[in-house]
Amino acid sequence: MGLILKIAWRNILRHKSKSLIIGAILFLGALIMTFGNGVVGGMDKGLQKNIVEGFTGDAILVANKQESDNVFMEFMGRSVEPILNYPTLDSILHTLPYVDRHMPVGKNALMHLSEESSNPGFSFVLGTDFERYTKVFPNCVKAVEGRLLNPGEKGILMTTSQREELYNWSNIWCVAVGETLDVSKLPEDIKKDSASLIIKDSLVFMGMNENNATYDVRLPIVGIIKYRALDKIFGHFPIMDIESYRTCMGYLSAEDKIEVTGERKALLEMEGDNLDALFGNSALMVANTAPVKGKAVAAKEPATVAPTQQDIDAGTYNMVLIFFKDDIQSDEGLRRLNEDLKTAEVRAISWKKAFGIIGSIAMLIKSALFVFVMFIFFVAIIIIVNTLSMAALERTNEIGMMRAVGARKGFISNMFFCETGLLSAVFGGLGIVCGTIAVHVVSALHFTSDNDMVQLFYGGDTFSPVLSSVDIVLAVFQLALVTLIAVVYPLRVARSITPLDAIARE
Amino acid sequence: MNIIEIRNLKKDYPLGNTTVNALRGVDLDIPKGELMSIIGPSGSGKTTLLNVIGCIDGASEGSVKVAGEEITALNDKQITDIRLNKIGFIFQTFNLIPVLNALENVEFPLLLMKKFTKAEVRKKAEKLVDDVGIREYGHHKPAELSGGQRQRVAIARALVTNPHIVLADEPTANLDSVTGASILNLMKEMNEREQTTFIFSTHDANVLKYAHSVVKIRDGLIVKE
Repeated sequence: MGLILKIAWRNILRHKSKSLIIGAILFLGALIMTFGNGVVGGMDKGLQKNIVEGFTGDAILVANKQESDNVFMEFMGRSVEPILNYPTLDSILHTLPYVDRHMPVGKNALMHLSEESSNPGFSFVLGTDFERYTKVFPNCVKAVEGRLLNPGEKGILMTTSQREELYNWSNIWCVAVGETLDVSKLPEDIKKDSASLIIKDSLVFMGMNENNATYDVRLPIVGIIKYRALDKIFGHFPIMDIESYRTCMGYLSAEDKIEVTGERKALLEMEGDNLDALFGNSALMVANTAPVKGKAVAAKEPATVAPTQQDIDAGTYNMVLIFFKDDIQSDEGLRRLNEDLKTAEVRAISWKKAFGIIGSIAMLIKSALFVFVMFIFFVAIIIIVNTLSMAALERTNEIGMMRAVGARKGFISNMFFCETGLLSAVFGGLGIVCGTIAVHVVSALHFTSDNDMVQLFYGGDTFSPVLSSVDIVLAVFQLALVTLIAVVYPLRVARSITPLDAIARE
Repeated sequence: MNIIEIRNLKKDYPLGNTTVNALRGVDLDIPKGELMSIIGPSGSGKTTLLNVIGCIDGASEGSVKVAGEEITALNDKQITDIRLNKIGFIFQTFNLIPVLNALENVEFPLLLMKKFTKAEVRKKAEKLVDDVGIREYGHHKPAELSGGQRQRVAIARALVTNPHIVLADEPTANLDSVTGASILNLMKEMNEREQTTFIFSTHDANVLKYAHSVVKIRDGLIVKE
């Protein structure tokens, strides 16, 4: 081996230009691959951290009837199916040892209607018990104007991006209740329209579902909010109190339960004999016969009794966001959750699936980067194969003579392999080291961006590429694979050289 | 005792649609310790004969025994081992490994044999380098040596394994007459001292005086011994 190494190393030095060409290709390939892995790793980690911890949880429970898994980002059309048995789910979830916490929410597209505009706007809205929401997702939103929702308060927290969308649709500019328009704070492109802006501190929302059994509700704009991270994505989701959301969607709300416990309960429990008396009364009651997906409500009147947590939970939700305990892997948690909730008419889906294309973005970019790196390596392999094959043919005399004096084919193979392996180890290794350094340097520089796409690429507001030991092992493995593939053909060329070829060359 | 026994050796080369009969039935016995010259015009088959004897080329037909071993039916590994252990080569154009110095070139076949320690290899190589008179150039790369010096390194490399036979294909063709004469003297000296069989091909009539015997070959047949 010492002899082979000696010859291989000296040959590398002897054919400096060829060695440098091959080395440069290997260096660049390894550098790009390592840095790329760092970028994708950082993006994956950032997206996971910001999306999971800031918005979705590790897994999402949806009703079995829900066809699409893409419950957050599926555009107009299908509404998210309601979950009607949350109290049962809640009691089961509390018994599962691997579930850390959970948060039920409503989520659907709502229309906003306006007296001033014939064009209705649309928003994905999260219906939440906001007090509970902020406990499960602490500091996930901040009010840039107005304030956040108080416990039990009805209203909407409009996101800055949805406010701009609404402006684009209908020239309406939202302000928080009690605040006046400060023109100087308007975005530049809106400032010029400030005179014609329709200023609103409340909006009328109306649910959208296949049965049209929804209601329109006017809600005060309590605050204008921004999400702590990935606001460009999460900003599509204004937050509404759960009761108003349910009312918009025509779902059973806590107030309905309260109402039913009062005077109406007596009416509903009335025996058949007394029904005539009902019709004899001057009161007119119109039954809501629409086959709504949630439990139908008959009419909307303000509740006189504040709903309890139990009352709130008895109403309809669209999904339950689940956080697993720290030591539980997402896949394992998902599998166990689906097993434990088999009979509960719900299924658990991963946050990646629930977030549609956004959830898969890391995988998509990773795949694209992999294809790009593979393309570079493919080109590298062709160049290396060509260079090494030429080198083998140029060294016919030397190789033929070695064979003539007793070197076996294996010796020639080892010599060639050793040469390419040394180049790969030195230059490729250097590429991996430089890539690793670049990842750390870039990460330390804390590049930030407000741009939508760039934030996706960063996996958050800050560019934080991260490299795991697995990534480095993978890079070494890829480099070894490239070396192996690149050396196969030249090796065959070199092995096929006979002593006679050397003599014939003379 | 014959170190080489050749019977009805034929060697054909395909050339386009035709076949060239390079050797057309050679019979030859070469005793151990011989210093033999093979002469003949270009294309007569002398290089082909040397190549077949040296296991560099295969026979199309016939039998070739080298040191008692029939070589025509051996596989690549066995043939390579015979070249390593029983045959030494001296080529017309020296053919040294360019990245190794003179001493390392001489060590090369010994290292391939994997029979000796590093120290033994170095000792044997140094002795041979000394014997061929290039001791002071032992650490020079081939590119730093003259033609004569390189051929001396090639002779040392051919002899270092104590082969049964040393084959030299026109060893003085690329050397000036003085250097050529010194190389031939060296080969003769080695032949006498080590009793190694030397077979060399040549065009040069001046070379013949060094040989114990001369084989003349023409059109693939031995015409005179």
